Amino acid sequence: MSDKTINISDVVNLPLDLKEQKKALEQKSSAVVEGKVKVYDPNKDNVKNLLEMLKNKLSRQTVSSLVGCVHCGMCSDSCHYALARPHDPTMTPAYKADQIRQIFKRYIDWTGRIFPWWVHAKTPKNDEDLNRLKNIVFGTCSGCRRCTLNCPMGVDTAVLVRLTRGLLTELGIVPEGVFVVDKDSWETGNQMGVSQEDYIETLEWQEEEVQAELDDPSFKISIDKEDCDFMYTVNPREIKYDPRSIGYACKIFHMAGESWTMPSFGWDQTNFGLFSGDDKLGGYIAKNLYEAAKRLRAKRIVISECGHGYRSSRWEGYNWAKYKQDIPSESVLITLIRYINQGRIKVDPSRNPLPITYHDSCNLARSGDLTEEPRWILERICTDFREMYPNRSDNFCCTGGGGALSMVEYKPLRMEVAKIKADQLKATGAKLVCTSCHNCVDGLSDLIKHYKLDMQVVQILDLVAEALVIPEKDKEK
Amino acid sequence: MSEFLRILEDEVQIVALAFMATVYTIRLIWMFRFKAGKEITSPVGSPRVGAAYSMMNVAMPWAMESARKNLSFYVQFVIFHLGVLVAITATLILPYWPEFFEAEPIVRIFQLFMGAAFAVGLIRLIRRITSPVMRLISTPDDYFSVALLTAWFAAGVFAMPNQYEVSEWPLILFFGMTTLFLIYVPFSKISHYLYYPFTRYFLGKTMGHRGVFPRKKGGEKPAGLE
Repeated sequence: MSDKTINISDVVNLPLDLKEQKKALEQKSSAVVEGKVKVYDPNKDNVKNLLEMLKNKLSRQTVSSLVGCVHCGMCSDSCHYALARPHDPTMTPAYKADQIRQIFKRYIDWTGRIFPWWVHAKTPKNDEDLNRLKNIVFGTCSGCRRCTLNCPMGVDTAVLVRLTRGLLTELGIVPEGVFVVDKDSWETGNQMGVSQEDYIETLEWQEEEVQAELDDPSFKISIDKEDCDFMYTVNPREIKYDPRSIGYACKIFHMAGESWTMPSFGWDQTNFGLFSGDDKLGGYIAKNLYEAAKRLRAKRIVISECGHGYRSSRWEGYNWAKYKQDIPSESVLITLIRYINQGRIKVDPSRNPLPITYHDSCNLARSGDLTEEPRWILERICTDFREMYPNRSDNFCCTGGGGALSMVEYKPLRMEVAKIKADQLKATGAKLVCTSCHNCVDGLSDLIKHYKLDMQVVQILDLVAEALVIPEKDKEK
Repeated sequence: MSEFLRILEDEVQIVALAFMATVYTIRLIWMFRFKAGKEITSPVGSPRVGAAYSMMNVAMPWAMESARKNLSFYVQFVIFHLGVLVAITATLILPYWPEFFEAEPIVRIFQLFMGAAFAVGLIRLIRRITSPVMRLISTPDDYFSVALLTAWFAAGVFAMPNQYEVSEWPLILFFGMTTLFLIYVPFSKISHYLYYPFTRYFLGKTMGHRGVFPRKKGGEKPAGLE
């Protein structure tokens, strides 16, 4: 681990990488051809287009956040980027938000239009300025909303950052990773480009695994079954890198005597539209999910463990898609609480004896409503649960939020500012850090490796599956 | 009292106030022309409770880490804004109820508040000039607004005895600055108090709807136990 501090000008001056965009054009990618994903065009007046789009995208809420900042500087104490880099004032959330605020002031607000220098109002001069803007909003903010909740005025800086990301996405001025994931989402209906064959095969594989474990050939992961109590939706990361989490969930549903299904399409509960700021993509992915549930006449949608997936599917998605919520949707955590509370599954906490702490995902704690639910479960499935401080809606980001994991060019900075989280984890003395978010699993794993912490990351479903009492199997033991 | 001072305290203030109110009204109409974002999900919590909680945040320093960890800054904030309230009250009482300031304890109380706010204003100005973070995010408007208010508090301290028969200059200075203040405010960051209810309401409504506000401290009943 190096104590070297990143030179921030190296980050904000990172060039616009267009390899993937060129490749997509050559391959005549359908998302690009149909104009769903925008590619950068140096011959267009991108500054003018950005200004026009800004005007159209503003809502009363965003305008209030744009005009409401008094530059008190209180936000700098709440941001992990600013706390980890006290020598670097450009990490202050107000400064980051000012990048779009000054454009708003120059182009739309009145004082800035008449006396721009008085309020530091200015418009970008060229595409180089837009590229710098890209590096600031994508590379130096994870949109964790910690500053929002600590702003005395209630200015939602994370929303302003997302608004700016959305404008740049429309111009193709985005990090390579963002472009690729956006494209894959449009083309395959999931953010990791998982094919339907791979998805089905993975479910079949997990079905066999659970059948073998339970010695029960009747166990089924049913796909597209109609009229079930709920439709279970997952993160593509589970299909690609962590399929056992699907097996764990399905095993628990089976033990609880649940009637559930998984859709063959519309199964991705995550949504890169949240990170790229693209409401159209957000609406498309979310609508796939809601329509799958409608098609299958499911009574509920259950969302697997994922912070941004929960936020997108439970909250933002309906708004992006302008889709009136017709059936309830809930996190799998609530489903698990119901099972344990109603005695539908039995758990033995002694099977999880290692000291465990809990990391609150930003999207669950600050943009969602889930802080007590994971703790209620943890208190029943492990013997040594230790709080991390600060926690709940005051918790620090895993540093992999806001799509940061897909933007490798910013990783050195991300690892530097992860010191805040690493110190927080270390102070607990826990051997396991539990989180209820696949994104946080990767974010935390990265920093645990970087800071050489003696710790492993687990999720609630892992621990419930471990603590699950399976009568026949336990009798054999 | 000279005719000049009488007009400055009365008619000029009314015109300046009317100007401010007009600009504010236009400003609010402008803001409400932007479309309102709508939440169409089924709620977990109450948008009303969330909005009320959010609006009351200013009086709950324990509710925000930024206030909890910077208690001295919060105390400064309270003193500064009480100073504003007292100074505005003074501008309304002086012209129409001058006898009110004949009682020395009242004069001293007003001077105490404005004097303390003046001291806080100076601290804020120094912080803005010396802190690299504050320098980076500060605009000329930010400096001018704090400086204007700080100077206004100082003028208020000298004007409070209301002894125009001894010298009118402290009162002319105070009301002259009040006029400038009223005309400048709608174009400056000082107008944040106009936006405060809106930013906090919008944030609180959304967060209340989603069950994030009021913020949980632990021990609340989790969902799923119904």
